[in-house]
Amino acid sequence: MTALAVTRATMTRTLRDRTALFFMVLLPVAIIVVIGVTVSGFDQFRVGLVQAAQAGPVARELVSGLEDAPGLRTQAYATASDASAALRRAELDAVVLVPSGLDEAVRAGRSVTVRVLVEPSGSAGHAAVSSVSAVVADHAARLQAARFAAGETDGGFDETLALTRRVERAASPVAVRAETVDGRSDYLPLGYSYSTPTMLVLFVFINALAGGAAIVQTRRTGVYARALAAPVSARTLVFGETVAYVLLALLQSLLIVGIGALAFGVAWGDPLAAGVLITVWALVGTGSGLLAGALFRTPEQVHAVGPALGTGLGMLGGCMWPLALVPDWLSTAGHAVPHAWAVDAWTTLLSKDGDLPAILRHLVVLTAFATVLLALASFALRRRLTTGRG
Amino acid sequence: MRVVLAIAAKDLRQRLRDRSAWVIVFLAPVLISGLMAMAFGGGSEFRADIGVVDLDRGAAATGLTRVLRSPELKDTVRLRSYDDEAGARRAVDAGRVHAAIVVPEGFTAALRGGGSSPVTVLDSVDFGLQAQLARAVTESYVAQVNADRLSVATAVAAGAPQEDVPELAGEAALLHLPEEVRPEGLADDPLKVISYFGPSMGMFFVLFTVGFGARGYFVEQQQGTLDRIAAAPVGRGALLLGKSLSTFVYSLAGLATVTVVSWLAFGARWADPVGVAALSAGMAVAVVSLTALVISLARTERQAEGLASIVVFALALLGGNFVFASGTALMRRLTLFTPNGWALRGFTDLGTGVSGWAAVGMPLLGIAAFSAGVAMVTVLLLRLRRTT
Repeated sequence: MTALAVTRATMTRTLRDRTALFFMVLLPVAIIVVIGVTVSGFDQFRVGLVQAAQAGPVARELVSGLEDAPGLRTQAYATASDASAALRRAELDAVVLVPSGLDEAVRAGRSVTVRVLVEPSGSAGHAAVSSVSAVVADHAARLQAARFAAGETDGGFDETLALTRRVERAASPVAVRAETVDGRSDYLPLGYSYSTPTMLVLFVFINALAGGAAIVQTRRTGVYARALAAPVSARTLVFGETVAYVLLALLQSLLIVGIGALAFGVAWGDPLAAGVLITVWALVGTGSGLLAGALFRTPEQVHAVGPALGTGLGMLGGCMWPLALVPDWLSTAGHAVPHAWAVDAWTTLLSKDGDLPAILRHLVVLTAFATVLLALASFALRRRLTTGRG
Repeated sequence: MRVVLAIAAKDLRQRLRDRSAWVIVFLAPVLISGLMAMAFGGGSEFRADIGVVDLDRGAAATGLTRVLRSPELKDTVRLRSYDDEAGARRAVDAGRVHAAIVVPEGFTAALRGGGSSPVTVLDSVDFGLQAQLARAVTESYVAQVNADRLSVATAVAAGAPQEDVPELAGEAALLHLPEEVRPEGLADDPLKVISYFGPSMGMFFVLFTVGFGARGYFVEQQQGTLDRIAAAPVGRGALLLGKSLSTFVYSLAGLATVTVVSWLAFGARWADPVGVAALSAGMAVAVVSLTALVISLARTERQAEGLASIVVFALALLGGNFVFASGTALMRRLTLFTPNGWALRGFTDLGTGVSGWAAVGMPLLGIAAFSAGVAMVTVLLLRLRRTT
């Protein structure tokens, strides 16, 4: 019962603290939105479009072809220099300069060159050029047909171009068919389904770690010493704090899961497996927070080291980017931290429709992390309290 | 002036005695930007491993393979041949190639007007861009063929006699598409990840100085240090200047550390060291003004700490410190409401070879406008507080 009183006191204090609530709820959601927006559209090349002033219908058709191409994410720019600056700043993969006088040149039977600006050393730009070329070639095919037909029948270019569009719809061109062979992703899905689970892993850990500052503060203000004199055993105090930190971590996880599902449409996969994963991750966070509370001397130290350490471990463990993108040695090193196992487990649940047996290996490793951290934290905290060096 | 320097030196000594201050401003940004440099240092170039299955064994299939081996794609595409479709499927499924192109039997014959089986691009969900590239190259190649067929069909539809079709097909085969794409390289340097994330992480952690400075002020107020200084013949202005100077120097030292380490250890490049210094100094001024704002808004150490954390994360999120330049257009506009967003714009331009005023002029003006705005709000708040 006494342990539960400690739990209640710690939870009440945390939930009344507006700054703590900012870190628990508002900040994770804000970062989920930013990262979610940023990591969408990774399967498209980013292309800037610069149209000539007073573009004719042929040029406009080319532009709408580029805008509608599923593999391109286009953005219009007023001038070539604005678009070049965006390309230079790595905001684009390529810039298409739609030539002025395109309509006149095509009608006059001349060939037209569409200039595409790229970063010479970046190969993404050259790949983007291929995608632009496919759209331009498709457009050019109609122009070629219209010109050919106009020449053969002494018709007008505009009439034969309109005819070409009708013929094209009825014709059976050689098709290019895409078929997805490997539909099971090794990564989390893009957008919010990427940012929400990874930020859950990151922030539950960081928040629990930063929560260690409250334990340091309680130690320093002598609250524990007075409780021990009550007498309440050190074991009871440690147990009470542990339960409070687990509950807070679970509460934060459930908030993120709820907001993710309701606001961002994240499907969290098998409920049982997701529930067990969240619980085990809450235990990992609790162990880290309690250990920080036992080891650090001042709350400022925890505030300084906690977010930096949490962010660093999160990066190492694949919360900021998929570990499949980094060199093999760094991915292997990343699995030395628990975050990588948690992100792998969420990937299995969200991208491969995994269930509890599918993430069992990850859960075993995470449970081992949690056990070691909790054991070390309990030992260190009890030692702090009983030796009176709090 | 001596008093100002004495107050600044005292504050700096006090801060540097705190090990957590070292971690936040010197150690953490260097370690985290180093981690980013290692993660994306060598392997961020776009590569596509594409498999080809030639069931046609004709000239048209060879032509497609030749396009994939062209000089333009030599650094991007690595080609592997497979004897049958099943082999290519297994390779895509196992991740040995990102996508595979299956050229059907009779492809070359189909180009001469016969019936056509589709060319199949096999892809994997994890390699969307590579699949897009494989499809685009194939579609471009097939486009000329389709253009010839479409030319004949349109001519017939426009009134050319049906019996002339063989002749028309011969003429169409000699045509070239009237629009072609010509890639042109920009003359500037490509932006390296570390050139962006070094200063980005430096600024993120330097913003924590706002919390240190504001908390320190309230601690001194509680301990009576401020009252004792006020009792001495030291004007309020000198006290304010001294404290601002220490925050400025501390912030500047943090930014200088991360930029120098990014340059020497991780190969970050900026076109103009004076520009780097100017942006760092501008950012340090912004930190000073934000510290003053938090002090004017908060009433206790705890409030100052909370408010500073919110300011830091709000600015870092809006300013683009967490995401590489690739954010959306809206996010890029929002960054220009923050000093760190402006500074990052300047560092990005310096990182791509632009130097001098062209790179740092607008960012410095943006940072100055932000700092001036914050200073005005601070003065207004202090006046209001004094009158209430």
